[in-house]
Amino acid sequence: MATEPLKGSPHLVPAPLIGPGYDYATVTDKISSIVLTQKTPRSWIFGFAVAFFLLMVLMFAIGRLFLLGVGIWGIEIPVGWGWAIVNFVWWVGIAHAGTLISAILLLMHQEWRTSINRFAEAMTLFAVSCAGMFPLLHLGRPWMFYWLFPYPNTMKVWPQFRSPLVWDVFAVSTYATVSLMFWYVGLIPDLATIRDRSKRRVSQKIYGILAMGWRGSAAHWKRYETAYLLLAGLATPLVVSVHSVVSFDFAVGIVPGWHSTIFPPYFVAGAIYSGFAMVLTISIPVRKVYGLEDFITQRHLDNMAKILLATGLIVGYGYVMETFMAFYSGSPYDKFMIMARMTGPYMKFYWALIFCNMVVPQFLWSTRVRSNITGLWVISILVNIGMWLERYVIVVGSLARDYMPTMWYRYSGTAWDVATYVGSIGLFLTLLFLFLRYLPMISIFELRQLVPPEKRPTAPGATRATVEG
Amino acid sequence: MNSGTSLQTGLERVELRALVVGAVALLLCGIGAYSRPDEFYQSYLFAFVFWMGISIGCTEVLMLHHLVGGDWGLAIRRLLESASRTLWVMLVLFVPILVGLRHLYLWARPDEVLHSPELQQKSFYLNVPFFLVRMAVYFIVWLVYGQLLNKWSTEQDRTGAPAIMRRLQSLSGPGIVIFGLTVTFAAIDLVMSLEPHWSSTIYGMMFIVGEVLSALSFVIVIAMILAEHKPFAAVTSPKSFHDLGNLLLTFVILWAYIAVAQLIIIWSGNLQDEIPWYLRRTAGGWGNVVLILAVFHFAVPFLLLLSRDVKRKARALGAVAFGVLIMQFIDTFWLIEPALRQKQFHVSWMDFAGAIGVGGLWIAFFAWQLKKRPLIPLRDPRVEKFLLQEERA
Amino acid sequence: MKRHPLYGLMAEFETAETLIAAARAAREEGYRRLDAYSPLPVEGLAEAIGFHDRRLPVIVLIGGIVGCLSGYYLQYWASAISYPLNIGGRPLNSWPSFIPITFEMTILVAALSAVLGMLALNGLPMPYHPVFNTPRFALATRDRFFLCIEARDPKFDREKTKSFLASLHAREVTEVSR
Repeated sequence: MATEPLKGSPHLVPAPLIGPGYDYATVTDKISSIVLTQKTPRSWIFGFAVAFFLLMVLMFAIGRLFLLGVGIWGIEIPVGWGWAIVNFVWWVGIAHAGTLISAILLLMHQEWRTSINRFAEAMTLFAVSCAGMFPLLHLGRPWMFYWLFPYPNTMKVWPQFRSPLVWDVFAVSTYATVSLMFWYVGLIPDLATIRDRSKRRVSQKIYGILAMGWRGSAAHWKRYETAYLLLAGLATPLVVSVHSVVSFDFAVGIVPGWHSTIFPPYFVAGAIYSGFAMVLTISIPVRKVYGLEDFITQRHLDNMAKILLATGLIVGYGYVMETFMAFYSGSPYDKFMIMARMTGPYMKFYWALIFCNMVVPQFLWSTRVRSNITGLWVISILVNIGMWLERYVIVVGSLARDYMPTMWYRYSGTAWDVATYVGSIGLFLTLLFLFLRYLPMISIFELRQLVPPEKRPTAPGATRATVEG
Repeated sequence: MNSGTSLQTGLERVELRALVVGAVALLLCGIGAYSRPDEFYQSYLFAFVFWMGISIGCTEVLMLHHLVGGDWGLAIRRLLESASRTLWVMLVLFVPILVGLRHLYLWARPDEVLHSPELQQKSFYLNVPFFLVRMAVYFIVWLVYGQLLNKWSTEQDRTGAPAIMRRLQSLSGPGIVIFGLTVTFAAIDLVMSLEPHWSSTIYGMMFIVGEVLSALSFVIVIAMILAEHKPFAAVTSPKSFHDLGNLLLTFVILWAYIAVAQLIIIWSGNLQDEIPWYLRRTAGGWGNVVLILAVFHFAVPFLLLLSRDVKRKARALGAVAFGVLIMQFIDTFWLIEPALRQKQFHVSWMDFAGAIGVGGLWIAFFAWQLKKRPLIPLRDPRVEKFLLQEERA
Repeated sequence: MKRHPLYGLMAEFETAETLIAAARAAREEGYRRLDAYSPLPVEGLAEAIGFHDRRLPVIVLIGGIVGCLSGYYLQYWASAISYPLNIGGRPLNSWPSFIPITFEMTILVAALSAVLGMLALNGLPMPYHPVFNTPRFALATRDRFFLCIEARDPKFDREKTKSFLASLHAREVTEVSR
């Protein structure tokens, strides 16, 4: 915590957020060239190929699911929620960091968000797509998914509004819509930039349509900024509500290990935790491959590591409270649940998650670890794994040990569970690679605002005024 | 009233009056304790928890400021530091609760425990000796932290060495974690265990957020009063009040979020161990308190704090903060008293006398601490930067 | 009104400061139909061209209220009026259970009104606009700043306006055809 450069007398200027030597023009040209002129890097082609292959695995797994039904997964009553719901919660959680970086940090005037927000918002969108897919696949008859929405139907019944599963439909679809709008609104001025830099007719047309005729008028900018700020203000409580609703899916039920009042804040913290871990996991290789060290600087990584530590501690607080209350409450079921987690059939998962989520982040107290990029990358991956395991222990662990021993079951996923999960990573990566290639991955117009004053053009009188007729 | 000396005399006057009023109120409570001891302890616990919340909340906000910086904290830093010193008063004022343990807590009465298998099950945690050990640990941790934060801050005033800023930061990081845990367990021990059959995992967070909210609204009110005086006005600007207002808004929202989250989960579960907590807090007139809290602890301050104008004007923001402080007072009352005054809403004169008594001593000590040091941490490098900025603007 | 053959006159500037100064000067000179173009939002520029519009926050507020009320009413009507069902002994109007969807609907409608309201007030999407005919206008999304005085301005005069713009430290002044 002691590394934040002191804004005190010896160094009144904080560490720069943008490498030296950039001005409006070079910032614009550098980012837009990735989309327009640079040769596609080999690593992109290789990565895209791998991602696309995984996407095909997903398609195959889904095809089989549609033909044969959810029986190809390992779920069996009482464990009706297996990998699919674990993956759902995991992906929704990852999605949250994007909105958080964009919205909350914008409201808090944290300028460092600028070079990672576009990218994090894209990550949000793709992660929500992956997340939304799982409950639908889980429906049994996914083609009837529209039954979830309240619409007048022939049977005249409505969705059960007292059920958190219906809250989920509203929360996740609102979240997907708002993040799409937030991302797209942020993109409009940059799409115009790409349109104007583009030399080819086709891309001029496509980016032109997407930019909707943006021309940078002062009145437009004014309304644009107002709308963007309002969206940020709306998106911030939305993020919190979405993962709270996800936590209600569990906490509203009276299953031991699920029915716990701390679930909403603890799930939200866990979501931010895994989300920031994912931003680190992706941005560290990307900045290397595209040479973006001048825009995603050491300070960005350091700040993200600090947020990782803070949210990790809240998650740890959640574990402590759950365990303590199980013993304090005197409820034999709660106590049994905790003991089953620690010593039962899923104990390996439990202790692995404690290691990944509670022990590993403690290294981030050290400035040296936070400035070690490889170390940070490894930690971020471990956190991602830990958060997946946490959801597994919550979902499966509680269902497999119901109130009655006759209702106990030993669950494990099948190859098709694994294929769907790995395939969803393929979907995520495919979308991400396409985004990196075809859209400006860093917000150009916001980066222009970070150009230091001395690099901005000055000396108005020095230029010659000419009149052309 | 604009010079530094008049501020000093003003503080002296406040100190003396608060001391007298507080002592008189406590004396009255002492008389009440003879005739109706149960009622006295109920009222006293409430008064203690409320004022304690401000002391601890202020220490937490202080550490938060050291950790994340921001101009909002410069103006209120001395207020927070002085408030964190009041933990010493709270230590002394804790004695009556120790005396009245049996009047307050079922688990502290041997005859009750003898007849209740549930209490016996919990006696590994809820027993008097362990309770005393835990309270001792909390107080030691809090006092040591308060002491270090203040000592290094004084050192910074004297030497201005940049290393101190760094030291304060490295203290505050783990400090927030340690306070999070100790405050949680203190809330469980002092308040939640009044209803030993009931438990809720979000309870600690509820108290942390509530205490920070009390602390923020308290220092905003004080900052509003001081903002008209010379030395203090230099470090306050509409911008710093704006930031404080946003912070207040955030915590008002968090407070409502936690309240609603717990309600939805317990209401939907509707289990016989859990739901009585709400039944007690809505029955026999207590329900009206819920309504007041929903409107004036959340809806009204939320809508007011959305406005930029309210946040930038010291007086307007101070008025909202004062309202929130009153609501925190009522909220604390609602969290504690229904556990002890079941069936019927009831307010005793000692509820007020106790709160005024504890508060009088608290404020007297606070004012005494406040006038011992300059109101602005002049050697804080951030103050220097702030003053430079203001000059330029 | 007779249509002027030109859309207006466009002056190019190299810095945001000169653009703001020029916009202010043009307003002082009496021009009312003008617009400025910049690659990034410039603080004070909208005020300098005389732009005042506070409608967007109001639209969003109305959207939020509509979403909130309709979200709650949807659930109330479906659960208590249209098809009342006793679910686990919960009251028909289970207001604690209705909080999450009410909240989501508030946010959804407010956010939709923010985006659609912004686009509508800005008149976007607009595929063709005369200012794109300016030869160097592509730089408005890179590093140059532009000020356009439109021909429909009552004070507009091809030659006078042109020399006025040139006097404002403009890098160059071009005619914008329709």
